[in-house]
Amino acid sequence: MHNLTPSAVQLVDFYDDGEHTRHFHFRLLEEPEITTHEHHAKWRHTQTGQFFMLSVPTFGEAPFSFTEVPDENGYFRALIRRMGAVTSELFELEAGQILGARGPFGAGWPMDEIANKRILAIGGGCGLAPLVSVVNQLIEHQNYTQLSLIYGARSRQTQMLNPERERWQHIIPVYNTIEEGGVNGGDNEYMGTPSDILPTVLDSFGELPEIVLLAGPEAMMYSLAEYLVAYGISDHTIYLSIERRMHCAVGTCGHCYILFICPLNGGCIAQ
Amino acid sequence: MQQYLLESLYELQSHLSHSRQFYQVVDNDGDPHWQQIELDKVEQEGFQPLTHKMPQSSAKGFFFAEQEPLYVFDGQFFRETLPKPDPFVLFGVLSCDLMAIHYQDIFFEQDPYYQARRQQGLLVGIDCVQPCKEGFCYLVNAGPGVRDETADLILHPLTDGRWLLVAITALGKESIHGLTLTPASAHEISLRWDNLSHCEQQFEDHSYISEGINKLNADLIPPSFWQQVGVQCLGCSGCTTLCPTCSCYGTHSQPIGASESKAIQNNKAGQDNQASQHVRFWDSCLYEGFQREASFHNPAEQAGERVKRFWYHKFSDDFLPEFGRYGCVGCGRCERACPGVIGVHSIMRRIVDDA
Repeated sequence: MHNLTPSAVQLVDFYDDGEHTRHFHFRLLEEPEITTHEHHAKWRHTQTGQFFMLSVPTFGEAPFSFTEVPDENGYFRALIRRMGAVTSELFELEAGQILGARGPFGAGWPMDEIANKRILAIGGGCGLAPLVSVVNQLIEHQNYTQLSLIYGARSRQTQMLNPERERWQHIIPVYNTIEEGGVNGGDNEYMGTPSDILPTVLDSFGELPEIVLLAGPEAMMYSLAEYLVAYGISDHTIYLSIERRMHCAVGTCGHCYILFICPLNGGCIAQ
Repeated sequence: MQQYLLESLYELQSHLSHSRQFYQVVDNDGDPHWQQIELDKVEQEGFQPLTHKMPQSSAKGFFFAEQEPLYVFDGQFFRETLPKPDPFVLFGVLSCDLMAIHYQDIFFEQDPYYQARRQQGLLVGIDCVQPCKEGFCYLVNAGPGVRDETADLILHPLTDGRWLLVAITALGKESIHGLTLTPASAHEISLRWDNLSHCEQQFEDHSYISEGINKLNADLIPPSFWQQVGVQCLGCSGCTTLCPTCSCYGTHSQPIGASESKAIQNNKAGQDNQASQHVRFWDSCLYEGFQREASFHNPAEQAGERVKRFWYHKFSDDFLPEFGRYGCVGCGRCERACPGVIGVHSIMRRIVDDA
């Protein structure tokens, strides 16, 4: 049976990262016997790229990607932008507050299929969040033959995950694009959008990427995917992280439907 | 399958009402609707006649509640609030509405709230022997005879107030245990099939619906058509509310009042967090804001896109593998409800003529 009741989590701490964006650190709490849902053992099997539903009592639930999946002690992280009612309230809370979390949901990135391939990852705006854990994991295990990241943001103020990107760029090529303001003269920052830099990045691969991971605004992902397919990359090797409004996360509420099918039936990662 | 001849429905109704809460469609002043029948009233007034008139609202709400709490937050932990209904019987459910329940049984197979209610319900179906005005159940394999897989018991009207009773499921057979019943004769059993066959032949010509479904699945409908009919969708949710297979829902959280909060918090003195509950409610995919995100990005911004999705959800071949049938059961409620005149008959005629 679907579990629609959250586990209790504690907001451990947080820090700001970019405009209206904040890293939140949560800890799953032990559950008393009065709750009927499963304990957080299942959280330890969270796959890279899955998401959870965060419950802010009296304000509602909303889906968020893990930037760090739950560890053996139940600690996990998410990067969240202040946007609607749930996140606005979340940004007002102090450390120690009790919240709820349901999950993990979605299919996750196909890590077995990705392993030891030429990989191009492209994130736009908040869309970099679902790519954090996959990039970290690939770098940590060194199981890729080539890995490049394009990250697009509207402006420098809206860029996020600066420490992570600075760390990554010592190990893999990272291409940062911004649409407003000037570039800082660094050799990995470019004016424009990910689409503008994409031909250059594809040229740098020599052979075509064998796997492309896309995360960000849908219009950006569809546009990039069309370009990539036209460029000769098989559509079966292009993965999109679809993030939609949802109320259930189990495929029954109807809010996240793409065309007529709930993507949750096949996972939030769609080919 | 066991089949019996009933001289009247009274004994069956009385028997079932003693072991279960009893619901039947009553027709007060031309407003047929589901209503609980209280035992004390039955003893004084008897049961109302069983009607074939379609209730404005289907039996959907008995299982998929129009609004219900999913969980409460007591200030410290979250607790699931599963419903615990007493056993109940829906007496005289039309074949189309039974097929819709069957459809939702599949859709909500893993939903604990739906299943908590469903497992307490006994379904007594009633065969239709006359077509209803907007109905086309025969065209979508939902009637006019009750399909075996959709009911526990089936009633078929014979002449002189007599009924054929068909016991289908183990629950149905168990529910009539203790009644003195007369086995039906071969003639009475065959009468059922004759009557249903005759009823099917009385339906008007609905070939435009078949033609419209084929056109829809052949992807022969241009986007401009949906834009045109989308203008007529007022986003009132009449169709989705009355459609017996529509299942979209939303959720919201709300604080709980002081007295209720105190009970829920269960003497957790010193707990600062306000108690709250998370509620789900019927939603409509035709609302402009149904898919709108917090950023105001809306994947289905145009009414035409939403109308298109609604009709594909009812008639697309894509749903056949999972459900073994279309999402429409041919009840025609959307035609009666839609103020924009884009219910099923109207839209199918438009698809055939204009798309």
